[in-house]
Amino acid sequence: MSATLESEVRTRRGVTTSLHRTELVLAAVAVLGFTALAVTTQGNILQAGTLRAVLQFLAVPIVIGLAQMVVLAVGQMNLSVGVLTGLCAMVSASLMSDTGLPPWLAIPAGLAVGALVGLANGVLVVLTRINGFIVTLATMSVVSGLRYGINGTGTYQDYSPGLVALGRADVLGLPVVFLAAIATAVAVWVFFARSVAGRMLLASGGNPFAARLSGISNDRSLVVAHTLSGLLAGVAGVLVVALAGSVNASVGDDLLLPSFAAPIIGGVALTGGVVSVLGTCLAAFIVRLVDVAQAQYGINPRWVDLVVGAVVLGAVLVSQRRGRGSS
Amino acid sequence: MKETREVDVQAETEPRKETEVDASDTRRRVRRRGVEEPPPGASPTPRLPWWANPRVGLVVVIAALVALFSSARPAFLDVDLTLVPLQRDISVFVVVGLAQLAVLSLGHMNLAVGRMAALSAFAAGLAYDRFDAPLVVGLVVALVVGAAIGAVAGAIITATGVNSFVVTLALDFGLLGVVALLYDRFAGGVAFSTRPPGMDELRSDTFFDYCIGPVCGPPVPLLLPFALVALVLVGLFFGRSRNGREVLMTGASLRAARLSGIPVGRRVVTAHALSGLLAGLAGFMLAMTNGAFSASIGDSFLLPSFLAPVLGGTLLAGGAVSALGTALGATLTSVIQKGLNLLQFEADALQIFIGVVLLVALSLDRVRQVLAERRGVRA
Amino acid sequence: MRVVCTQLVKLFPGVRALDGVDLDLRPGTVHALLGENGAGKSTLIKVLTGVHKADGGTVLVGEGDDEPDRPVVFSGPSDAQTAGIGVVHQERNLVPAFSVAENIALQALPSRAGLVDRAGVREIARRCLAMLDLDLDLDRPVAELSVAHMQLVEIAKALATDSQVLLLDEPTASLTAEEADRLYDVVRRLREQGHVVVLVTHKLEEVFAIADVVTVLRDGRSVAGSVPLSSLTRSDVVDLMVGRAHTERELQAREVDRSTTPALELRGVSTSVGHRDVDLAVHRGEIVGLYGLVGAGRSELVRALLGLDSVTGGSVLVDGRSVTIRSVGDALRRHRIGYVTENRKEEGVFLTQTVTRNVAVTVWDRLARLGLVAERRERDLLATYQERLGIRLSGPTQLAGQLSGGNQQKISLAKWLAADCSVLVIDEPTVGIDVRTKAAFHELIVQLSEQGLAILLISSDLPEMVALADRVAVMHERRLTGEVENSHDYAAMSGRIIRLVHGEQAADAPPAA
Repeated sequence: MSATLESEVRTRRGVTTSLHRTELVLAAVAVLGFTALAVTTQGNILQAGTLRAVLQFLAVPIVIGLAQMVVLAVGQMNLSVGVLTGLCAMVSASLMSDTGLPPWLAIPAGLAVGALVGLANGVLVVLTRINGFIVTLATMSVVSGLRYGINGTGTYQDYSPGLVALGRADVLGLPVVFLAAIATAVAVWVFFARSVAGRMLLASGGNPFAARLSGISNDRSLVVAHTLSGLLAGVAGVLVVALAGSVNASVGDDLLLPSFAAPIIGGVALTGGVVSVLGTCLAAFIVRLVDVAQAQYGINPRWVDLVVGAVVLGAVLVSQRRGRGSS
Repeated sequence: MKETREVDVQAETEPRKETEVDASDTRRRVRRRGVEEPPPGASPTPRLPWWANPRVGLVVVIAALVALFSSARPAFLDVDLTLVPLQRDISVFVVVGLAQLAVLSLGHMNLAVGRMAALSAFAAGLAYDRFDAPLVVGLVVALVVGAAIGAVAGAIITATGVNSFVVTLALDFGLLGVVALLYDRFAGGVAFSTRPPGMDELRSDTFFDYCIGPVCGPPVPLLLPFALVALVLVGLFFGRSRNGREVLMTGASLRAARLSGIPVGRRVVTAHALSGLLAGLAGFMLAMTNGAFSASIGDSFLLPSFLAPVLGGTLLAGGAVSALGTALGATLTSVIQKGLNLLQFEADALQIFIGVVLLVALSLDRVRQVLAERRGVRA
Repeated sequence: MRVVCTQLVKLFPGVRALDGVDLDLRPGTVHALLGENGAGKSTLIKVLTGVHKADGGTVLVGEGDDEPDRPVVFSGPSDAQTAGIGVVHQERNLVPAFSVAENIALQALPSRAGLVDRAGVREIARRCLAMLDLDLDLDRPVAELSVAHMQLVEIAKALATDSQVLLLDEPTASLTAEEADRLYDVVRRLREQGHVVVLVTHKLEEVFAIADVVTVLRDGRSVAGSVPLSSLTRSDVVDLMVGRAHTERELQAREVDRSTTPALELRGVSTSVGHRDVDLAVHRGEIVGLYGLVGAGRSELVRALLGLDSVTGGSVLVDGRSVTIRSVGDALRRHRIGYVTENRKEEGVFLTQTVTRNVAVTVWDRLARLGLVAERRERDLLATYQERLGIRLSGPTQLAGQLSGGNQQKISLAKWLAADCSVLVIDEPTVGIDVRTKAAFHELIVQLSEQGLAILLISSDLPEMVALADRVAVMHERRLTGEVENSHDYAAMSGRIIRLVHGEQAADAPPAA
């Protein structure tokens, strides 16, 4: 029996050390990939326009990956992040177009919707004791319906030229939406690394028994995690509104699986207790690089999915090997 | 003094299922209480009262909905307009649900269920297009390809020990690309234009179109028997066959299964291969219903694949499945869909309804369980 | 702080787990809590830490060494903690990814404006570690620490909430001798500072090395309530723990025919998990005991034998033929070797499955007709073993998780008997099983051997060993240190076996952590 115990300790020991190494490896891959792209495209990718596009379209993947990471931290999943992003985008756009609300009111409203749906997810998980996967599967269906309910299959555009101009603007040569995503990532990092609430959430995810004995409410951690996940989906929705200039109810359809890919590549465990904001961001960047490479070389876009699949599996395999090797 | 330690270690190393709610303290406490301090000797029969059986609830709800829809819209009982297409939908989604059920038995998931269907359908389409294969050969090709890709998923999971969620997620990405590339290369677009002989009949005929003398068959689409056969075989596999039961035992406790002489690795591969095979069958059936082998087959399989078994009372934890429940779950969602369609609800309202039904059904299930526990019966 | 428990009673359906326990915990003492498996130690700990609520008796708490006057009722673990009672399990109470400092301060994280005050956290951790005279890297994640250090961090954590009473549950079970010494130093320090340290252990040397007071539990009663250890000898303590139970259970020495080919024989076996030169033979109709301390590598040897780890040298012979066993299935179907695991709940039975399936799992291929298992034959099989082993069931669809420990163990045994095994390895068969069931189980094991099974019995329960085995082989640190023919004379046998366990201990280097 002590063997079981020791092996348990050993696997856990692997977790933290291998996480830092995962971040390092991802950073190296990101730098190498970017350099390789820059060299093979004769510096094309470094031109202001291209670089802007690279970073602009990195914003939503980063935030959506974080939205999933937050619930993975407590060992849960949130299947509704994608459609919720769409719903929040539609709500913001609708408030501006249909009711003429100014952006500075419509944006918080979009965020509030995200947080509320997240709160509902969390409360449902805690109250019903049903697996979070199933609960969010159900709310995903509901949210997806609501998303279409706002404007059917119609498209909102020209809701706020000011906002869209801001979404396409640069500060210090960097796109505003990208900076917003980075700011969000920093906030999430501070939350997990420094805030009491964030630490409690991680404690619940890492060892619910110890957390309970330390006076931490695991139920509360679940609700907080889901609410935060919803809020981040709201942020992603707002970024889409600012970036795209036109939104319709299909926003978010293709975000669910990528939302898992980024944290998983980034070294976040499905069992909870460990997060990596940096890893998630780097993973999103690497996936984005694959996209860029496809566009630059004019490769069939279908290869992108294939490569992303390989990267997901490869990343997990490599970190697992290392986890084993280090013990 | 090993006794205390045993309990401690057990709590610590209690294997966490990938998505199991960690903080579901109550449930765990209940379970642990049930396990740790059972009365010695005989305890009450574990058989839940009939009303705590989710299948019964499903039948009642389905019957109520059918009554409701048909009283609101008599067209709901129209054979050609509603009932035949409804049966076709149900047939496909039962098989899709069974494909997911096959791995839920292990406590695993198959996120690539739709893409496995797409790849299988592609293979069948290729057989018809390039090799003028007869209808049944295409079916066999689809099944074989599906089973093979499922087995690959299972083998990766066994060999690497990576979570099934991650492996099938990666596989889904990969297959998404592969399927599109294959259609590009071999069909010059997104679909095969060839239709094998017999496809049109399989698609639109019912047994009513076939008569022996004056006696004609019931208005049941020709596709339905495919689902029925799959249902019965899956039910027998998990209920009665050695392999199927060993899969369930592996799902119930991997370590106990290994120590009972079950080849757990092979059983994981078996379950995933079965999942792929059923996904292949579903892909073939959907291609038949659509009348074309296209890259978009399987796109919408993922959610229904979970809906049907979960509504039918199969847990994500593994170790227990209900094939019949899956069929009822698929029936319920299809009935809701058709009914709301007839009542001219938009697609969005429909999704909301399905989501709410799922939540309500599961919450009721939970209430039933709690009530049953209070009556001294442990679920 | 002084805690006095009087006549504590805890009932579980059908069992009086605690049946009048008295306990007097005085500040500045190390209090050993002793008892055999199933005597009620774990239940007592759970009552003291608020995990279980007592069904009778009182707990009084008082300041200093005064006669306590304040009755307390714990309705949850946090109540006990607030009252100043902390428990230290083996590293389960820590968050692996968190630093040492944060784990220690987790119960009341100092904060400023919602952010963790890291300096404050360190301050608390430093203070608690200083009380233990420990120097650990505060920023290191506990997941990277050794088990011994994790335990020390847990003690520090308990001190952070001002625990005056510390319950240490089998603290040295997975520690090396050096690490254990270090822990004892910490325990002595705590005693000097006026804490009560309750030491739950089964190592008598440990008790006599550091404890001042002892409470011995037997069958849920305190047969010695808070007695100064100085007034007792070692054999007094053993007598108190065992009572006369072992003499009652004593069996006659049996004649075993060892002239035949052994059913299972190991010749110079070494394994990938560190066993070297293991020679062992089990004949038909014989019970061979494999004794050793927890962690000596007995179960690990069997696991290697069954193909769960690998045999790297020497040879394994079944009925005289040299074999290679690749998996449990291989062992079962080709060589008819069964293994009743020590870890009943996780490996022995499928808790969520019916008893019928639990018993039939090894023989479905035999029960199947045309690939389908005939449920009637399955139920007949269950009925056979239900009768033969005396398993108490409410019906064939009862779930294994609903059975008592003894009945679960019988189910775990039945599946191997159903598979018609000729060699049975039985690992810690009576852990956590009450005394009466235990006796019945012992008789069952003897019966099985008389029916011609070759049985290898692994047990850490010395009276059990002496009662059952024909020969006892002793393992220490993955080597066999000797073999003793069982005379069934407990006093003589226990002496010889214990000497074998400890005789080598000083010579060997401590095991790697």
